[in-house]
Amino acid sequence: MIKRTSCSCAMLLLLLPVCGAEAHPHVWVTFHSELLYAADGTMTGVRHAWTFDDMFSAYAIQGTSPAKKGQYTREDLAPLAQLNVESLKEYDYFTYARGDGKKLKFNEPVDYWLEYKNPSLILHFTLPLKAPAAVKALQMEIYDPSIFVDFEFAKDKPVSLNGAPAQCSATYDLPHQPTTAEQARLGQLDVVPLDPTSTYGEIFANKILVKCP
Amino acid sequence: MTRSRTLSLIVMAGLIIACAGALTSAWSAPFGAPHPSAVTSSSGLIGWIFAEQAAFYRSLSGYIRASKQDGVAMWELLGISFLYGVFHAVGPGHGKAVISSYLVANEETWRRGVVLSFVSAGIQSVVAVVIVAIAAVLLGATAKAIGLTVHLVEIVSYALVILIGLRLFYVKGRGFLLACRELSWRPTHELVFAAAPAAMRLSAVALQSSVRGPGAMAIRAGECQEDGCEAHVHGFQCDGNHDHHASAWGHAHGPEPTALAGAGGWRRGLAATAAVGLRPCSGAIIVLIFALAQDLFWTGVGATLIMGLGTAATVAAIATAAVGARGLASRVAKTRAGFGMLAMRAIEVGAAALIVAFGLLLLAGYMASEQLWMFTG
Repeated sequence: MIKRTSCSCAMLLLLLPVCGAEAHPHVWVTFHSELLYAADGTMTGVRHAWTFDDMFSAYAIQGTSPAKKGQYTREDLAPLAQLNVESLKEYDYFTYARGDGKKLKFNEPVDYWLEYKNPSLILHFTLPLKAPAAVKALQMEIYDPSIFVDFEFAKDKPVSLNGAPAQCSATYDLPHQPTTAEQARLGQLDVVPLDPTSTYGEIFANKILVKCP
Repeated sequence: MTRSRTLSLIVMAGLIIACAGALTSAWSAPFGAPHPSAVTSSSGLIGWIFAEQAAFYRSLSGYIRASKQDGVAMWELLGISFLYGVFHAVGPGHGKAVISSYLVANEETWRRGVVLSFVSAGIQSVVAVVIVAIAAVLLGATAKAIGLTVHLVEIVSYALVILIGLRLFYVKGRGFLLACRELSWRPTHELVFAAAPAAMRLSAVALQSSVRGPGAMAIRAGECQEDGCEAHVHGFQCDGNHDHHASAWGHAHGPEPTALAGAGGWRRGLAATAAVGLRPCSGAIIVLIFALAQDLFWTGVGATLIMGLGTAATVAAIATAAVGARGLASRVAKTRAGFGMLAMRAIEVGAAALIVAFGLLLLAGYMASEQLWMFTG
């Protein structure tokens, strides 16, 4: 009996993840997204506001010295904002949109800046569509395929429409809570990393749906 | 009785092969997406532990802030930090695997395992504190600079792990070859001696096939038993240099202790531990910087050290289990001088190869995890 126990202990130990870094996710983001429309009713882009968790916020602004202690202005944080949007390019800004089933493409972000609201850092940026699109059914997903960043809809006002035709209405779908099996998979991501093309994180995507019948 | 012993040995070999398989699949992950359903049902507990540690982590910031005004919150913070450490260490990292493999390869005692676990976790906490103290407190470095520093330390740590593993692999590989030949000594006088020492060749094989090493080793060990030594044929590792066998290896009754652990055992153990512990926990770095931003750096230091204590508790428990399993296999092996000893040597070689594989994987993981600082460059 004892033999068996120690054997299974050893088994557990050897099969446990062995690699560096922590369990996923590492950064938590609460976000608000505003969908932008032109006067002619076509969609032109999306304006994001991402609020980072307090610990990561403190980490990110480390070494930025504001004129007044604890008061970070937009100018103080401009270099960091620049760094953020540049780094995010590689990750497609974690924003994936489909209009009437067709993939929508974005240009590089405009109007980006960081805001510090103690204790959180908020990244504002606008992603313009490559070409304005008239879409009847829009589906936008915000998620990190590698689940390094945990995205969560802001509680009070997660989604809004700006200048959309009157018949349009926006709804959103919350991602499901990870099951224990999925949690375990998340815990192993550092050891058994996802394929670069994997969209595993999609099962935890935050979905925005806009219908303009 | 004999059957159950054989079974135990097979289980141990199976463990090594299974682990090698896991490593291989991890290695090939970039070329073929691992399927999420690969997670077995037994991982429910691990899933729960991960959920818990994430919750603990997220509650840390609140306790740190509260501890500014509230003395009780300070104690709560330390308690949560300890629990976070315990739960967190079950997850990836913290040198569990490397330390355990090291203990198995070196016939270390569980006491030594516990001490090494605590030393490793202690070093890990202290490195995090030192990096933040120098980079953030003294130099006012940015998150980007700190991230780079951490990465540099990581690379050094992983490289040291690989070096230590290779050295151990060489030593143990020779031990295995000697045990193997010892077994077939008398009947194989006429063996054709290979030009190059087989141990060297084995290291070369391990290097080339990197992660497939452990599996290949175990399989070869099997080959050796089947047709190499027992049947007195020219097995793969049963040739090689014959110049040591008479001295250190009486009649395969047991290894000469000095040849395995030796006087420098503690020192080598500490070297391995330090190599593993060098790599700071990025969670600890973030907690420390957060505490610093609240003007509570010393609170952050306290929390980090207590976290390390929790981590050490888990690592020590796992290391003790590893030593126990090895002790069991060793008792079984002693009852069958020849093959038992050979199997023990094979397990040691496998464990040493695993250390190399872990080091390589960690380095590869580093390569793949550059996104770690995606928001800060």
